[in-house]
Amino acid sequence: MTVKKNTSDITGRVIQRYVILAALYTLLIFLLPANTTAMREHMLTPLQYKVLLFAIGLPSLMAWLAAFIGYARLHQYADSIADTSEGPSFKQLAKGSTWLAWSLPIPIILSLLFNAYANGHSDFRPTAIITSNYLNLLFPLTALTIIGFASRALTASAQLSFSVARARSIIAAFVVAGLAYCYFTFQRFDLSSFGSTDNPYYLPLWLMVITVIIPYLYVWFIGLLSAYEIALFSKNVKGVLYRQALRLLVFGLIAVVVSSIALQYINTVSPRVGYLVLDYKLLLILLFRILTGLGFVLIAVGANRLKKIEEV
Amino acid sequence: MTGANNTLLYTQVVRVTHVYLGPAADRFIARQVENHLQKPPEDMSKKDLLSLIDWIKVAVSLLTDDSEIVEEYALQLHKLAVPTKPKSKAKAKAKQP
Repeated sequence: MTVKKNTSDITGRVIQRYVILAALYTLLIFLLPANTTAMREHMLTPLQYKVLLFAIGLPSLMAWLAAFIGYARLHQYADSIADTSEGPSFKQLAKGSTWLAWSLPIPIILSLLFNAYANGHSDFRPTAIITSNYLNLLFPLTALTIIGFASRALTASAQLSFSVARARSIIAAFVVAGLAYCYFTFQRFDLSSFGSTDNPYYLPLWLMVITVIIPYLYVWFIGLLSAYEIALFSKNVKGVLYRQALRLLVFGLIAVVVSSIALQYINTVSPRVGYLVLDYKLLLILLFRILTGLGFVLIAVGANRLKKIEEV
Repeated sequence: MTGANNTLLYTQVVRVTHVYLGPAADRFIARQVENHLQKPPEDMSKKDLLSLIDWIKVAVSLLTDDSEIVEEYALQLHKLAVPTKPKSKAKAKAKQP
C-alpha cells in the first residue's frame, strides 16, 4: 500500500513539475518581445512569429512530458528493487535519466529569457550565447557521467566484458565523429589568433577547446560506451520475460543517449544565433527531440513491465 | 532432513524460474510462497508445489500474453513435482568402483 502511494506520489509530483515548466515556456513565448531580425527575415508579425515559435515548440513539449514520465517510472522500478544487487545501478540510471529529462526544458527556457533580454540589449548577446552553450553542455555532462557509472556497475555485476572488436568499433565511431566535429567547429574560428572572440561562440579558441570541445568529446565517448554496455547487459542477462522488458528500457536509453549526443553535435557544429531560423538544422533538432521523446516512452513502458515483475 | 529437502526444492524452483524471470526469480518465488502459501519460502514442500504452480501460472499470465511460455514454464515446474524414484541397491552397488 505504501509502495503504491509512493509510486503515485512520484508520478504526480513529476507531472506537476512538467505542467509548471510547460506553462512557463508557453507564457514566455507569448509574453516576451519577438525578435525583430527573425520577424524581418521571415516577414512575420509579432503574433505570427510567436504562434510559429509555439508550433515549433509543441514536439518539444510532448518530448518533455514523455521524459518526465519516463524518469518517474524508472525511479519507481529502481525503488522497487532497492534492496537487490542490481538496485543501486538502476537507481543511478534513474538519476542520469532525470538529468537528461531536465536537460530538455531548462536550457530552452533560460535561452528564451536570455535571448529576449539580448534583443533589447545587444551587448548582452555574447553572454546569452555563451551561457546557453554552457547550459547545453552541463546537463548532459552530468547525466551521461552518472549513466556511465551505472552501466559500468551493471556489466561488472554480470561479469561481462566487451570484445576487442567491439571496443575498436566504438573507438573508430568516436574518432570519426570527434574529428568531424573539430573540423566543423574550427572552421568558425580565426586560427591565426587564438585569443580572438570574433566567432559565433564568442569565446577564444583556447577556452573553447578546454571548456567546450574536450568536455563534449568526453560526454560523447562516455555516452556511446554506456549505450553499448547497457545493450551488452540486456543481451546477456538471463530470463526470457525479464529480458523482454529490459530490452524496451535499454532501447529507450540508447535512443535518449544517441539523440542527446546528436543534439549537442548539431548545436555546436552549427552555432546558435539567438533567434528562430527556419532551416535544415531546425528540422534535424525537431527530429532528434521527437526521438528523445520516443526513447523516454520506451523507458517508461520497459520500467513499468519490470516493475510489474516485482509486484505480481 | 525434510528441511534440507525443502530448501533444495525451493532452490530448484528458483533455478527453473531464473530461465524466465532472470534476476527477479528469487524474489518472485519468495513472494508467491509467502503470499499464497503463507509460509516462509524455505519451508515449501513438494505437497505445496502443485498449488504454487497454479498461482505462478496466474502471475506469469499477467506478465505475458504468450501462453506457450506460461505452459512451458509450468511444465518445467511440474517435473519437479514428480516424486523421484529411490535408486535400487543393486544399481547403486554396480555404480560403485
